[in-house]
Amino acid sequence: MRAHRMAVLGCTALLAVAACGGSDDDGGGGENAPSGGGGNADTYVLGTTDKVVALDPVGAYDLASQQLIGNIYQNLLSVPAGGNTPEPDAAESCDWSDDKTYVCKLKPDLKFSSGDPLTAEDVKFSLERMLKIADPTGPYTLLGSLDSVEATDPQTVTMKLKKVDATWPFILTHNVAAIVPDEIYSDSEKQPDDKIVGSGPYKLDKYTPNQQAVFSANPEYNGPNKPQTPKVLVQYFEQASALKLAIEQGDVDVAYRSLSPTDIEALRNSNAGVKVVDGEGTEIRYAVFNVKKKPVDNVAVRQAIAQIVDRQAIVDSIYKGTATPLYSTVPSAFPGAKESFKDKYGDPDPAKAKQLLDDAGVQTPVELDAWYTPTHYGPVEVDLWNELKRQLEGSGLFKINLDSTEWDQYKEEAFDKGTYYFYGLGWFPDFPDADNYLTPFMRDGGFFVNGYSNEEVNKALDAELASQDSGEREEQFGIVQDIQAEDVPVLPLWEGKQVAAVREGVEGVEKTFDPAFQFRFWLVTKKES
Amino acid sequence: MSRAGSLRGYILIRIALMVPMVWVLLTVVFLMMRVAPGDPISATLGGKLSPADLDERREALGFDRSLFVQYLEYLWDAVRFQFGTTITDGQTIGSILVENGGATLTLTVAALVFALVVGLPLGLIAGRYRETLPDAAIRIFAILGYAAPPFFIGLLAQLLFAKNLDWLPASKMASPIVQAQAETYTHILIIDLAIDGNWDGVWDVVKHLILPAVTLGLLVMGVFIRLVRVNVGQALGGDYVEAARARGVPERRVVSRHAFRNALVPVVTVMGLQVALLLGGAVLTEQTFSWPGLGTRLLQYLNSRDYIGVQGLITVFALVVVVISLLIDIINALIDPRVRY
Amino acid sequence: MTATTSVTGTPDKAPEAGPPKRRGGLLSRITAPYRQSHGIQRFMLVSGTAISLAMILMAIFAPLLAPYGFDTYQDADGRFPTQGEPSDRNPWGTTVQGFDVMSRAIFGARTAVEVVLLAVAFSLMIGVPLGLISGYIGGWLDRVLVLIMDALFAFPYLLLAIVAAFLLSNTIDSGIVVTAIAITVVYVPQYFRVVRASTLSAREATYIEAARAIGAKPRTVIARYLFPNVIQSVPVIATLNAADAILTLAGLGFLGLGIQPSEAAEWGYDLQRAIADAGAGIWWTALFPGLGIVLAVTGLTLVGEGLNDVLNPTLRRRRVDRPVVQSRRAVGSSAVGPASAPEVEEDAGQ
Repeated sequence: MRAHRMAVLGCTALLAVAACGGSDDDGGGGENAPSGGGGNADTYVLGTTDKVVALDPVGAYDLASQQLIGNIYQNLLSVPAGGNTPEPDAAESCDWSDDKTYVCKLKPDLKFSSGDPLTAEDVKFSLERMLKIADPTGPYTLLGSLDSVEATDPQTVTMKLKKVDATWPFILTHNVAAIVPDEIYSDSEKQPDDKIVGSGPYKLDKYTPNQQAVFSANPEYNGPNKPQTPKVLVQYFEQASALKLAIEQGDVDVAYRSLSPTDIEALRNSNAGVKVVDGEGTEIRYAVFNVKKKPVDNVAVRQAIAQIVDRQAIVDSIYKGTATPLYSTVPSAFPGAKESFKDKYGDPDPAKAKQLLDDAGVQTPVELDAWYTPTHYGPVEVDLWNELKRQLEGSGLFKINLDSTEWDQYKEEAFDKGTYYFYGLGWFPDFPDADNYLTPFMRDGGFFVNGYSNEEVNKALDAELASQDSGEREEQFGIVQDIQAEDVPVLPLWEGKQVAAVREGVEGVEKTFDPAFQFRFWLVTKKES
Repeated sequence: MSRAGSLRGYILIRIALMVPMVWVLLTVVFLMMRVAPGDPISATLGGKLSPADLDERREALGFDRSLFVQYLEYLWDAVRFQFGTTITDGQTIGSILVENGGATLTLTVAALVFALVVGLPLGLIAGRYRETLPDAAIRIFAILGYAAPPFFIGLLAQLLFAKNLDWLPASKMASPIVQAQAETYTHILIIDLAIDGNWDGVWDVVKHLILPAVTLGLLVMGVFIRLVRVNVGQALGGDYVEAARARGVPERRVVSRHAFRNALVPVVTVMGLQVALLLGGAVLTEQTFSWPGLGTRLLQYLNSRDYIGVQGLITVFALVVVVISLLIDIINALIDPRVRY
Repeated sequence: MTATTSVTGTPDKAPEAGPPKRRGGLLSRITAPYRQSHGIQRFMLVSGTAISLAMILMAIFAPLLAPYGFDTYQDADGRFPTQGEPSDRNPWGTTVQGFDVMSRAIFGARTAVEVVLLAVAFSLMIGVPLGLISGYIGGWLDRVLVLIMDALFAFPYLLLAIVAAFLLSNTIDSGIVVTAIAITVVYVPQYFRVVRASTLSAREATYIEAARAIGAKPRTVIARYLFPNVIQSVPVIATLNAADAILTLAGLGFLGLGIQPSEAAEWGYDLQRAIADAGAGIWWTALFPGLGIVLAVTGLTLVGEGLNDVLNPTLRRRRVDRPVVQSRRAVGSSAVGPASAPEVEEDAGQ
């Protein structure tokens, strides 16, 4: 019967194709053209699920864009791998000429990948256009302290600030201060993604939005971070599970952001030629209390919660080693970080918590409404809050009504309307300075308007901003963190490690994991397979 | 409505009817997106900036002008085929269509091909052997193909063929190297690679295409099976078939020449109806396989509350369905003189 | 959506129907299809009904059948392990959140039944009356409604549901209601079209004219004469729509829209959480929800198709004595007509 035969033929054809696929596809993609160099491949592939918003610094205030921008452009200063303070990068030296003026001397002979020279004019242009364009999705608000910038000579940039701001050198390391060529970029519009030009170690050869970005070493680059691998491909994935399969099959060499804790654990234990590397991170999770609302307006209630929370249990059961307990909103990698919550509360102790509540005359169990948002911070958020609920109820002192709303409504209820009084948030830094983890939370209600305001905190923050002495700043940070543990307007929970899965033979990834939160393409090499 | 109309009249009337329908669609899409809570600024920056900062940025984007003004602007843009620029990643809808449309097209066409190649013969067998075991088995197979959601089948397929057997890649449209090397002519990757003569690349894309196309194809395969089965069954009971049998024509010829050929006619019509189903299923399939098509983009913009992106893509989807059903109706009218206005 | 579009043929062609039948009680009418079908057809109908009934029973008796609640994470012996293998304590294992898989699968059936019943109820309450009125009265109301319904019909159904769910999820608290409404939005046009087509063809019948002649008001004509006639086509569509609705619900759950895990167990959502598990070789969190979906949809589709075969045949064997060659074929086999070439040879459902 002809139809019969057709069907059989069709199925056989499909099977044949699948079988042929098997023989060709051994060990996966990522074949490399034969390279000259001593044993290292000339290309590696980085896989990620992050979504790039813009490649012109003017429009980029998200992590994914930052990862690329940090490799395409240069800044006056940058935090070197493994470090935590700004060092000169495009600049030869930078210093304060008075307490509100910051002067940088550029290195000579700097060029963009287009061949145009990089001068102080470009720096001035970059900063001014950032403020002029003020793109709604961009980081321009970070330059709030800048009053004016001048190119006092072709190699010198003078920046005058509106107020004393010790974080300014750190701000200059952020992509808000990435240097773009004034010959090519417009001062009123965002540069299209396919015409990106920078002076950094890599240049962008080809960009297919949300699919792939192709980089090659910038021949005009004149800086300390020489690329060790000539070509880098960045592959974008929709699902973490697809990324995981890709790294197992060798389609990508590095998988960075964002594999779930389950995936990471599985990869750690597998023998598929993959190993997991991690390092300090700067992403944190914390809970916010609206200190004007009952029942958390009573500090004893907040302190009791801080006394009960078992961060180690959370980190072990839910995050499986991809996070560590956090005892202050300042992550431990930062100079000035102090484990104030640990100092004050020690180990989780429901008995002590009961004591606190009794002393304050609070009736137990205390009934609380707790809120979280289920997708904005990833699917594991729900597990975190279920665990918190279990811990608090397990002490017998609390009854928790747990609910969730999607991000849009969530932030409106939380910040604008102040309906929620105990809810969860996450944070990743703008720049690697402890101030970026204190001011947004502790000063006069913080960005989330939680009603907390403390004179001593404000004084300490003013002091650290005004000082350029790191010892003094650390002391002031310590004061703020101690007050934080005492008053508990926020409850730090965990800090995330930066984690990546890499194929055997790939080196250098762990070196880039530091408080700067910048994946440095130039550090990574891959052995020729 | 007179039955004996002209073909041209029919086509003109159908096109004219399309206009109000498109207008209704556009309005519905606009209302949906404006009524939706949230905005792209809060979605991305809501956890970092103060409410005052957020408001300032929202104003800059013109979010607080009157709804009616925004509606008129939207209609005017739509008429000129300008569907705007997304907020969260600064792409124009047009460029999204160009970049990602090819991938969705490749996937849906491949899925359709699979559904036809498998569904038609199976339908024939089922129709020929109606009310017997092969028929029942085929019908159940068709139902299962529809009942198992694409993300379940996709997941199982990935586990089996990609992870366990390692025969086929689990996701994406091509290997990174192939994609990096491809020159763009038509923005349809597989065609571009063929134009270049990069047959290894073409083969690479085909390998990536198999699992998603089969997953999506199973969804519509059932429809074709059912249709062919029914029509073959019908045809086999018809008068002229009886006559042929009476004349002594061998059963095989009866089935293949008379029944099967007739059964194919309505397949074209039904294919048009399946476009809507395919597009919906494509969204889920693309998500499961990280396939870089329009469905993936749509979900991305939904999640980031980028209403321009969502609006633009949904409008495009709806228009595509409308246009295709128009084409199908025209083809139908050409084939079947009974269908006229 | 596919199932239902091919059932009814074009919107303008509905199964022929005569005046409403009055013989037999309700029970005999319900069991009629089972009695009238034969062979493979009956097997499919019966097995479909069995599966569907099993699902419904599972839904109703969930608290009794399931070992734990859908969000229970511990018992007297302490907390469940997360992603634990099937064991005595958790027969089908546990999820990444430490919930019992078997309980969630069973309660998932309950969620599915709840949402689908709600959605079908809403769709019927809106679609049927609209179709009746529109078909009977005609005029500009009819034209406007047809335009809107056609526009909604043109939308890829999942996209419509996604957008509707996304819109409603912040205004209405109950995820179940939100999902039900989202599904309703998608399926109202279906019912509307079918009922309207039925109405259009039925309203020209003689008995309707007679009713009008004796002075019956439009409301009476619609409610007493048209409605029982037209309603015949609905059960089949409702069943097939219910099957579709489960898929749409799972799709929405998979994409994270609609029902939150603390509210109810939902198969699609569980599948999405299970994707990460599957890569690690944890199969039990994906298999059972997936099977739940497949079985529920298959059961309902079998019933729907089986009913359709029996109730709405557009092809009947002519009752002529045939040469021996044909005698093996079952009498009364039927088929569903395609869009453009139906061949109605005998009345339905006699």
